[in-house]
Amino acid sequence: MSKADLKAGLFLCRCGANIADFVDLERVASVARNRDDVAFVKTHDFLCSVAGKEFLRETLENNIVDNVIIAACSPKMYEKAFQKTVSDAGMNFAKVSMANIREQCGWVTKDKEDATKKAQMLINAAIKRSAHNENLQQQSMDCLTDIIIIGGGIAGMESAIVAANAGRKVTIIEKEISLGGGIIKIEEIAPNMECAPCLLAPRLSAIKEHENITVVTNAEVTDLLGFFGNFTVKVKKKARYVDDSCIGCEACFEACPVSCASDFHLGMGARKAIYTAFPGSVPATAVIDRKQCLHFTDDSCDACVASCPFQSIDFDETDEELEFSGGAVIVATGYDNPDSSLVKHLGYGAIENVYTMPEFERIASSNGPTGGNIQSSNGGKPQSVAVIHCAGSLSKEGIPYCSGICCMTAFKVGEMVRKQSPEAVIYNIHDRLVCSGPQEQAFYQKQVDEGTNMLKVNSLSSIALKKKKEKIEVSADGITSVEVDMVVLSTGLVPAEGTEKLAEMIHADTNSAGFFKADHAILHETGTTVDGINAAGCCIDPCNSATAITRGFAAAGDAIAKLIPGRKLELEMMTAVIDEDICGGCKLCIAVCPYSAITFDPEKKVSVVNEVICRGCGTCAASCPSGAATAKHFTNDQLYAEIEGVLYE
Amino acid sequence: MSDKPKVAFYWCASCGGCEETVIDLDEKILDVVAAVDIVFWPCAMDMKYSDLKAMDDGEITVSFINGAVRTSEQEHIAKLLRRKSATVIAFGSCAVMGGIPALANLKNKKDIFERAYLDSPTNVNPGGVVPQEESEVDGYKLTLPEFFDTVYKLDDVIDVDYYMPGCPPTPENLANAVQSALEGFLPAKGSVLLPDKSLCVSCDRNESKPDDITISQVYRLTEVQADPEKCFLAQGIICMGPATRDGCDYPCIKGNMPCTGCFGPVSEADQGARMIASIGGIINAEKEGDIADVVNNIPDPAGTFYRYSLSSSILGNQRKEK
Amino acid sequence: MNNFEPKIVAFVCNWCSYAGADKAGEQKLDYPANVKLIRVMCTGRVDPQFVMRAFRVGADGVMILGCHPGDCHYRNGNMKTLRRFRLFEKMLEQFGINRQRFFLDWVAAGEGKKFQEVTTEMTERVRNLGPLEIKGFVEREVG
Repeated sequence: MSKADLKAGLFLCRCGANIADFVDLERVASVARNRDDVAFVKTHDFLCSVAGKEFLRETLENNIVDNVIIAACSPKMYEKAFQKTVSDAGMNFAKVSMANIREQCGWVTKDKEDATKKAQMLINAAIKRSAHNENLQQQSMDCLTDIIIIGGGIAGMESAIVAANAGRKVTIIEKEISLGGGIIKIEEIAPNMECAPCLLAPRLSAIKEHENITVVTNAEVTDLLGFFGNFTVKVKKKARYVDDSCIGCEACFEACPVSCASDFHLGMGARKAIYTAFPGSVPATAVIDRKQCLHFTDDSCDACVASCPFQSIDFDETDEELEFSGGAVIVATGYDNPDSSLVKHLGYGAIENVYTMPEFERIASSNGPTGGNIQSSNGGKPQSVAVIHCAGSLSKEGIPYCSGICCMTAFKVGEMVRKQSPEAVIYNIHDRLVCSGPQEQAFYQKQVDEGTNMLKVNSLSSIALKKKKEKIEVSADGITSVEVDMVVLSTGLVPAEGTEKLAEMIHADTNSAGFFKADHAILHETGTTVDGINAAGCCIDPCNSATAITRGFAAAGDAIAKLIPGRKLELEMMTAVIDEDICGGCKLCIAVCPYSAITFDPEKKVSVVNEVICRGCGTCAASCPSGAATAKHFTNDQLYAEIEGVLYE
Repeated sequence: MSDKPKVAFYWCASCGGCEETVIDLDEKILDVVAAVDIVFWPCAMDMKYSDLKAMDDGEITVSFINGAVRTSEQEHIAKLLRRKSATVIAFGSCAVMGGIPALANLKNKKDIFERAYLDSPTNVNPGGVVPQEESEVDGYKLTLPEFFDTVYKLDDVIDVDYYMPGCPPTPENLANAVQSALEGFLPAKGSVLLPDKSLCVSCDRNESKPDDITISQVYRLTEVQADPEKCFLAQGIICMGPATRDGCDYPCIKGNMPCTGCFGPVSEADQGARMIASIGGIINAEKEGDIADVVNNIPDPAGTFYRYSLSSSILGNQRKEK
Repeated sequence: MNNFEPKIVAFVCNWCSYAGADKAGEQKLDYPANVKLIRVMCTGRVDPQFVMRAFRVGADGVMILGCHPGDCHYRNGNMKTLRRFRLFEKMLEQFGINRQRFFLDWVAAGEGKKFQEVTTEMTERVRNLGPLEIKGFVEREVG
């Protein structure tokens, strides 16, 4: 049948008075009835109502047409519903075209005569376009339902547990030697001062025992291939030199003669060359620090070998290249603390007893270098402490943004110091405070009530620290200088090291601060810009522990809801296609595709769209220099017809 | 006259390069002459329009018409040849899509005459004389063909059976076409007698083009020493290869010159629009100022992207009644 | 030219500007009926051939309205459109089409008011320019 012979059925909706009052539908109908390409015109009061849809279905069942035109409200309202009704009537849903004669015509045109004419043109365009409509079929594909999680902090752990409990096989890839992330280095979580290790321990043990979860630590992702439903993650697992028969009994710690600075204590405490991250780490297996171990530096020692009751030491172990497959990936790579150079101007590194917030967290932690005893460098308990808010933040040179969580952490200092020295004087020196939410505000009030001095400065840049004998003098515009025993610099959060590299590897966007850009800031905060790669925790942007866990929950929930064993993944239907008979393989479409959905087939010398990844934006179709790429349902012919349709009858 | 198939060659508004292609058949032209009778070839042989007029309709097996249609004389002969020929091949880019002469479509007849006969600094024309279609000299009425306001491609004025773009088409293209025509292996009417793929498919530099190609700066050939191995676009040099039909065996690129697009677009595409869309899409700039910097280095987009195809552009010309 | 009613085609992306136009409707913010919308999923789909075709078949002005930079539903299709059409509009002028007949801007889903403003202004601009006549390139508008 030639295009000229195609006939459309036209449905006009009065929408009560909402359209009928603004557009002369009688005239629209009588003009349309005279068209050769219109089989019939039907008018209904409320086409979107149950009765309306029933009318639509029945009419189509009793009158065979090639296309259906619905002139009604915005397609954003009921296009999907009408498509379904038309499918129910036995037609392909892609044969429905809508003319928006309400929002974009009747409601925005003062004069009814003008509105009527405009409605006629919009309907004309829809009819002309419909002559080029082609059936679309729902495509689906088998998918893997396992989940791969990059990062084993609190968020990644939560995702793992959710997915594993749902019966999915989960692999956690962690770059450190143990799971735990940022939260393991903290004693209590503001504002409610929950015990952090108590929150973490059951999760660590759940993961350790879970038959569905594989934990790969001391490992980094080297490549990510594939797409939603079928990802392959390549991982380099670094040698530990201790095999997994080790139960972390620590017998070797005694034997090891090397003592060096502990990363876990941020350099403030010591560990051995063979060590675990912390007691109760997951895995429990110790690791040998190759740079420190005498066996590796000068082959002079193997004390640990003899001390080990399980013969777990293996100096010959090598790095391993591993591969994991899964249907979805969850990125939970967390945050890092900013470089200390950002707080150098506040005396950090030059004045004794000036600590960053993460350092204070270690000092105050029961698993920290002082066993939780908050003390100055001389061993005494500080009787006066100043906490400087926004240290290194809200400045062009430092972190330009507010991390949103540090004010609560900063208040925690006073809370924890007072617990050990009830008479201690606390100053919270700030320019602005962020205490959003009732619990946060109550925590702030509690500090004030308990005697914390909230000192508001005129500008952050005016804050200066000076050593004054045993004390530190803190001065700033707008406050009277104070002298204290200890200063804690409340620093913000920055993207974890390697975030940018990982983002590049997985083709995900980052935001201006360098965190992963959310797929949608409101609708899909826990998605990255790559379909099938979700994000949890602080790698999206700084958040507190509660939010990190919630994001972990959401990221996993979204993935397992979409990847269901035995069920196929439904694919976008309005994808792009490239005609391989025309494509010259110039690859320019590959460069413009926002989702890396197009690859070059070197055998055929053509570019090929992976319809699993394609989301149908049509940018390649507009960019193709030879016209080989087409956007389904938005083809050149359809759009040309529509352009002509809005311009002349 | 023998029973051999009859072939005609004619040039409209063109430079003569397409005629050179015939000459460039070298000794193969002897095979052609042996196989066919060339009945009309004003460029090379002495024939009169009246000879042509005297022929029967459809008597010529195939006519190769090159050049765009700029004057009423060209239109007249094109129509005459159409009537006398079984098959008409639009030969060369000017006949297929306007070619270089069609760049004049960015101006009109008035602009062109003023420039050519009055304003050009080398003109000596104190009387301000411009050509007239009719004038009287010593009582005689003299006429000149009409100079159209617009340059037309051949199929704007006559029905064309096949197309062979190229500035000029290569002798191989021509030899293949002649052979196909004589053997009766021509494809569906309206076809282009060349592959329907872009030049990149043949170009040996395509492998050096990165998947994530972007253009941060556009260079003109005079500004850089072009790498003889690397894709021109990847060097920031505009190469029309992606939007241009394959079939020339890319002599320009082999000579380290980018493709300027003479074989015209692939499939039904509008060559300039398509190239603007793809080049524009890969400009690597975020801010308006930076985008402008890149765009400013393309001083003549119409001339760059429509060098040979203005008459076939969507906004190219007003279609004349056939 | 007093009675001249320009024909204006606006290509709008599904996610932001089409929704912005709907918003104008919901708020009953009227604008000239001269402007007629064509929906594409992303402004990245807008092919210069569409704009040329619109001018060719009778449009006196063409608009492209998309998501604000950074808000593109498809990451950055709008930016590709911006770059593409900055190059394209330079060529339009060579074709003798006044640059004011082509307009590219961003309208968010909530910006019904802005939609009303840009479409009203465009209509007035093109009304003042008068009808576009394309006869080859002979009817030039700009020197």
